[in-house]
Amino acid sequence: MNRTARVKRSRRLDPLSLAGLGCLLLLVLVALGSLVHAGGDPDAIVGPRLRPPGPGWWLGTDNLGRSMLPRVMEGVGTTLLLSSAAVLVTAALSAGFGILAGYRGGYLNELIMRVVELLYSFPAIVLAILVAAVAGPGQLAAVASIVLVTIPLMTRLVRAAAVAVAERDYVTAAAISGAGLPRILGRHVLPNVAGTIAVQGTYALSVGISVEGGLSFLGFGVQPPQASLGVLIRQGGTYMMAAPWLIIGPGVVLVLAILSINVLGDGLRDRFEPRETRSLI
Amino acid sequence: MRLLLWWAGRALSSAVTLLGISVLIFAALRLMPGGFAETILGPFATPAQKAELAARYGLDQSVFAQYGHWLAAVGTGDFGTSMISRQPVAAELWARLPVTGRLTLFAVAAAVLAGVPLGVLTALRARPGGGGAAGRLLSGLGVSVPEFALGSLVVFVVSRYGLQTSGYLLPAAVLSIFAISATARTTRDAVLNVLVEPHVTAAVARGETPWFIVRHHILRNAAGPVLTLTAYLLGGALIVEYLFNLPGIGSYVVQAVGRRDYAVVQAGVLLAATVFIVMNVLIDLLVGLVDPRLGRRA
Amino acid sequence: MRYRLAGSVAAVVLATSACGGGMEAAPPGAAATGSAAAPGYLAVADGKLPAGGALNVAVHIDSGAATGLDPQLADVATSWQLMSLVYETLVTVGPDFSPQPRLAESWDNPDPTTYVFHLRKGVAFSNGREMTADDVVGSLKRLLAAKSVWRGQLGPVEKVAKVDAATVKVTLAKPYTPFLAALANVPAAILPMKEIEAKTLDPAKEMLGTGPFKVQAHRQDVSWNFARNEHYWDKGKPAADSLTVTIAPEEAARVAAVQNGSSALAALGNVDSAAMLAGAANVKVATQATTDFYYLMLNSKNPKFADPRVRQALNMALDRKQMAEVALGGQGKPTGVTPAGLPGACDPATLPSATAGGAAKAKELLAQAGIANLSFTLSIYSTEPAPAVAQVIQQNLQQAGVTVKIEQMDEASWAGKVYGKVPATFDAALSWFAGYADPGMVTTWWNPDVAGFNAGFMQADKDLNTLIAAATETPAGAERDKALAAVCAKVDTDAQMIPLVTRPATIAYRADGVSPSLYATEGYGNLLRLVADARVKKG
Repeated sequence: MNRTARVKRSRRLDPLSLAGLGCLLLLVLVALGSLVHAGGDPDAIVGPRLRPPGPGWWLGTDNLGRSMLPRVMEGVGTTLLLSSAAVLVTAALSAGFGILAGYRGGYLNELIMRVVELLYSFPAIVLAILVAAVAGPGQLAAVASIVLVTIPLMTRLVRAAAVAVAERDYVTAAAISGAGLPRILGRHVLPNVAGTIAVQGTYALSVGISVEGGLSFLGFGVQPPQASLGVLIRQGGTYMMAAPWLIIGPGVVLVLAILSINVLGDGLRDRFEPRETRSLI
Repeated sequence: MRLLLWWAGRALSSAVTLLGISVLIFAALRLMPGGFAETILGPFATPAQKAELAARYGLDQSVFAQYGHWLAAVGTGDFGTSMISRQPVAAELWARLPVTGRLTLFAVAAAVLAGVPLGVLTALRARPGGGGAAGRLLSGLGVSVPEFALGSLVVFVVSRYGLQTSGYLLPAAVLSIFAISATARTTRDAVLNVLVEPHVTAAVARGETPWFIVRHHILRNAAGPVLTLTAYLLGGALIVEYLFNLPGIGSYVVQAVGRRDYAVVQAGVLLAATVFIVMNVLIDLLVGLVDPRLGRRA
Repeated sequence: MRYRLAGSVAAVVLATSACGGGMEAAPPGAAATGSAAAPGYLAVADGKLPAGGALNVAVHIDSGAATGLDPQLADVATSWQLMSLVYETLVTVGPDFSPQPRLAESWDNPDPTTYVFHLRKGVAFSNGREMTADDVVGSLKRLLAAKSVWRGQLGPVEKVAKVDAATVKVTLAKPYTPFLAALANVPAAILPMKEIEAKTLDPAKEMLGTGPFKVQAHRQDVSWNFARNEHYWDKGKPAADSLTVTIAPEEAARVAAVQNGSSALAALGNVDSAAMLAGAANVKVATQATTDFYYLMLNSKNPKFADPRVRQALNMALDRKQMAEVALGGQGKPTGVTPAGLPGACDPATLPSATAGGAAKAKELLAQAGIANLSFTLSIYSTEPAPAVAQVIQQNLQQAGVTVKIEQMDEASWAGKVYGKVPATFDAALSWFAGYADPGMVTTWWNPDVAGFNAGFMQADKDLNTLIAAATETPAGAERDKALAAVCAKVDTDAQMIPLVTRPATIAYRADGVSPSLYATEGYGNLLRLVADARVKKG
């Protein structure tokens, strides 16, 4: 395969990733719709409790007689916003610290890795609870908790990838030829660890959604009556047999969201790091 | 000699990390709203009762004095007394350690035995039409189902049919789904990174068999990130402990946070942190053995 | 003697006491139909089933307090419940909340301030030592001297004296109608004072009582193992040989335990448990009404709520019926400050706020008070169904143009916020009180001079305090009902702590595992009150 063909192929996302992208865009659209109450007021008590889907409440009603449709829509928005905000912060910080620690090594590496280890060795949910409790409940606390819980693993993995890249010939060559540190990190190291960041980012997104659900359940995350997917699934889970529509709606949306983010992440990763993947078996 | 120095440095930095954690947890607990007095004695308590409780557990001293006394006691192996059970914290932690230990060991084993092969397979078949998409979907699904949702479903459905949910098989299986999927995804990424390395290209050119290449060239290099991930699983047991009502360390510590039972939280977090750190040292050591490039930097 | 061969099976079934006076008649047909509900009961144990067997029960929380296992200092129902297996009181309450004999076989009330208790013969602690009048006098004196919440409920006790080996006399400074109801709760239990005074027993660390069970083993937050007390005075009880109480904080774990039968009986928190367990084989779900109720605190030391008109307006806009129907699945009841369900409680539908005209009138009153766009934060804890109640409050007040922001916390942070600072800084908060067994008891907490814990956010009201005192002093009857109604109305217009709806308790049990006895309404939150009667089904 010549170079042009390789670049051409890499520009295209595979069908699976495209499907993921489409699905994600759809969810963002749904979330935007909830801002103008496209499906109705998510907090209003509109009908009898625990009704199966029907006219007036197309996804059924919950245990307070609220229509699930606007609640799921609001939940998508809350969860996507919280988790992606948290993951963006995590990705930016982890990329910075991880690459620096991995490429530079020495005392800087030692310092960064000790701080990361400190956070890392803190039991995740205890850390999240402490952060949320000290900062006071709310969305900011939820974002901060997700960041603190996801940052250690991502930083470590980015660092590990950066260490591997730093030893490669072209990086050494660039260093010998007098390229400055920012140029080496930006041009050579970052693109090569981007795959790790993308994969870990998508993975952190699912961790983030889990943490958000757990925190909301413990009363430290999203405050009622605001809906998030974590809150809805937690509630729906207890009504699994009596009112399955309470979990089916948000559950399907959650799996769709994380799944599409994941396949998109994989696709991006393959595109980010153009290479010929070969079939060995 | 170099190795000895490395170990000494490592031990020192681990001690510093643990010290940092102890300061952090000590400070965080005392910054939390809701004092131990209101929580443990309830709203009906009189100021005299609160003062008596504070004095009994030395909580009437300055935070620095409290920390100093606590640290000195920890040095002698005394982790304090629970304000709730009035029993030594260390004994209870020791009794609960096997529960959490068994759960996480099972999950780590599943991650290594099932997650790594799955990751290698999906990586090798990443080429369009290679069947990697199925693996991607599957592992994507695995990480997208929150543990509390999957756990609730399993607990409910299994018990409905009159089957026991006690024992370790089910909770460990729930924990493993996430572990396997996350490991598979990380492995896939690590393997794809290694595949472009010159020594793999050379091996292919030499005509070595695929499995020989996987074993000798790929796994060694993919091990770092994968091993790093497994340490993370240690923290994942909490929700499973709650759902299956297993008396493990996670539920113990989280309940203690809710009651502001300081000694329990401090000891529990310190224990968890020690386990993590020992695991990390072992992992770095292993990574150093399988991938010399990483070992030099570790 | 494990099997009781007495002619009256029904008496075994019901028996709060075999020979006590004033016991009510056995429910007709109860014994014949096993667990068919009798008046005042959700279920009655089938006395024809053989005794013996091991009973497994799951509850959501262990007793856990800094005061340890000392029953006199216990202040939450979940602790009382566990302690009631080991400790007993002089009197207890029947299904209709009337006082029933327990360690006192009978009592005389020669004048309104004198109570003479005739102790039951043949009562022994589980170590075999016989209970004496000294234990009774010592226990009551110890309680009166203790810094216990229950001290405040016991009333104006002036003197406790031993008359003879089997008689104890209590003298009150003035009449106090809830006295027997207060004596019926676990903090007034009779302790082995001889052992406590000899310091061979630390009641904070160990439980030793006259009750049907004795502690075999306890692991904090994991489980309790009780064995039958072989010295128990009520021969033939407990029916079960042993009782294991498993602590399972997560509702899903308790649902699972009862579905697969590893627990024969479990306390559940979700008001829709019956629907959720509908398809499970052999699982029965019962809702026990309680006298506990939710109330809304409006911090009158906060400028927002200093004007009583603002508080009254909010009270008017609240829809208690909707709270009961929607937030509690129809299983709670609207209530005034005298808990709905207790004899003599006032009718919440006749309260000033209920008849004022709802949200529209509330808007008018707010306008009169010169308040526009009122907005405040409601602090709640995350334990269900409190968040559900809070969200209905939010919707109710929206109708009156008031914006409520809900702030949800863990219980410890909530307690710190509400009780931690004097004067308190929060706007409004939601919680519940145990309603106890006499309609006058809980009204005591509306007097901050007595209650203390709410002095940080509540102004004492002299008139209200006088009314509360009058209601506790008036002997039961039409006049007392009137006095209680006056307290209800005054609390309603005072509107600093606004009573809302009663809090139901849900119980699930295996029809093939146990035949339990359960009251229809419980005053002290004690799900295990009649567990000594429960028959284990084997096979």
